[in-house]
Amino acid sequence: MPLVVGALLQFFAMTSTTFAALLPDRLSWYIAGPALGLLVVGFFVMANQPLGATGAYVETYKTVTRKADAVSWRMFYFLGIPIGGFIGIALKEDGFVRRSGYDALRNELSLGTTAIVVLVGAVVMGYGARMAGGCTSGHGICGTAQRSPASWVATCTFMAAAVVTTLFIRIVSGGAI
Amino acid sequence: MKKSPLAFKIVGLLFGAGFGFVLAAANLHEYDTIHKMLRLEEIDVFLLMGGAIGVSLPLLWWLERRKTTTVLGGRLALSRSKPQRHHIVGGALFGIGWAVSGTCPAPALVMLVSGAGLAAITILGLFIGLNLRDAQVRRGAGTTTAGDGEHRAAVKVG
Repeated sequence: MPLVVGALLQFFAMTSTTFAALLPDRLSWYIAGPALGLLVVGFFVMANQPLGATGAYVETYKTVTRKADAVSWRMFYFLGIPIGGFIGIALKEDGFVRRSGYDALRNELSLGTTAIVVLVGAVVMGYGARMAGGCTSGHGICGTAQRSPASWVATCTFMAAAVVTTLFIRIVSGGAI
Repeated sequence: MKKSPLAFKIVGLLFGAGFGFVLAAANLHEYDTIHKMLRLEEIDVFLLMGGAIGVSLPLLWWLERRKTTTVLGGRLALSRSKPQRHHIVGGALFGIGWAVSGTCPAPALVMLVSGAGLAAITILGLFIGLNLRDAQVRRGAGTTTAGDGEHRAAVKVG
């Protein structure tokens, strides 16, 4: 498994040097935001479904483990995200850079500690997303755009919780993280 | 009405790719972007989300009023539900986890293909968390219904 991942990463690294700098370092919010909005509307017009990521994770897991109620096409949506993401990254000047990621955490913590912190955070995030019935894409954009009161409440709740948690981490780490 | 699962797979793949492309283009897969946003040092991501909602909300409203028929899924059906306890508790937990791991489910996938190896841990953790909740529901505590932001079972395909 690590070998396969390593080989894939190597392949990505090679391809990404072929074309560079067609995209700016960071697309402005006033282009990226409406573009996301149009994708959400387009997905409704095509498939009558919200473009949420949590559901894609759940159905991908069910499909891979061959659960009877799995909806297999959602795995293709799940796979599309990193494929499109990689194309976007390959078109940037910096492109694919092999690294650990999480710079602000890595500046303060060892690799092992960072991995544990990130893992625990992700487990809590996944549990919460499943409980709430959506995440930043699901409730935050698709649900709010459907004018669902539950989505507006969930979105305001997770935004507030995330800002407060970040503030808490900042205080505990003495402003370092 | 018989739907073609293949058409759904292609549409899913294309829209997933479009979504991932925009996330990458706007740097939303970078821990730094989300961290700066949640430290309230930069408002770009809030504006980006506002822009996405600002475009999709009125368009969906208009399409709903027109009783639009979707290409693959019949009459356009938006879902709206009343806020319940699980939206608030789940949302709060999601927000805490999001702040700690610095990326949400879709950008985590892009983060990995941008070369950040720790994103593999994030994705693994997400699968664990989702399954913990599902296991809890199977034992009879609470229910998992597709939320307003999740893929619904309303359109049974594949």
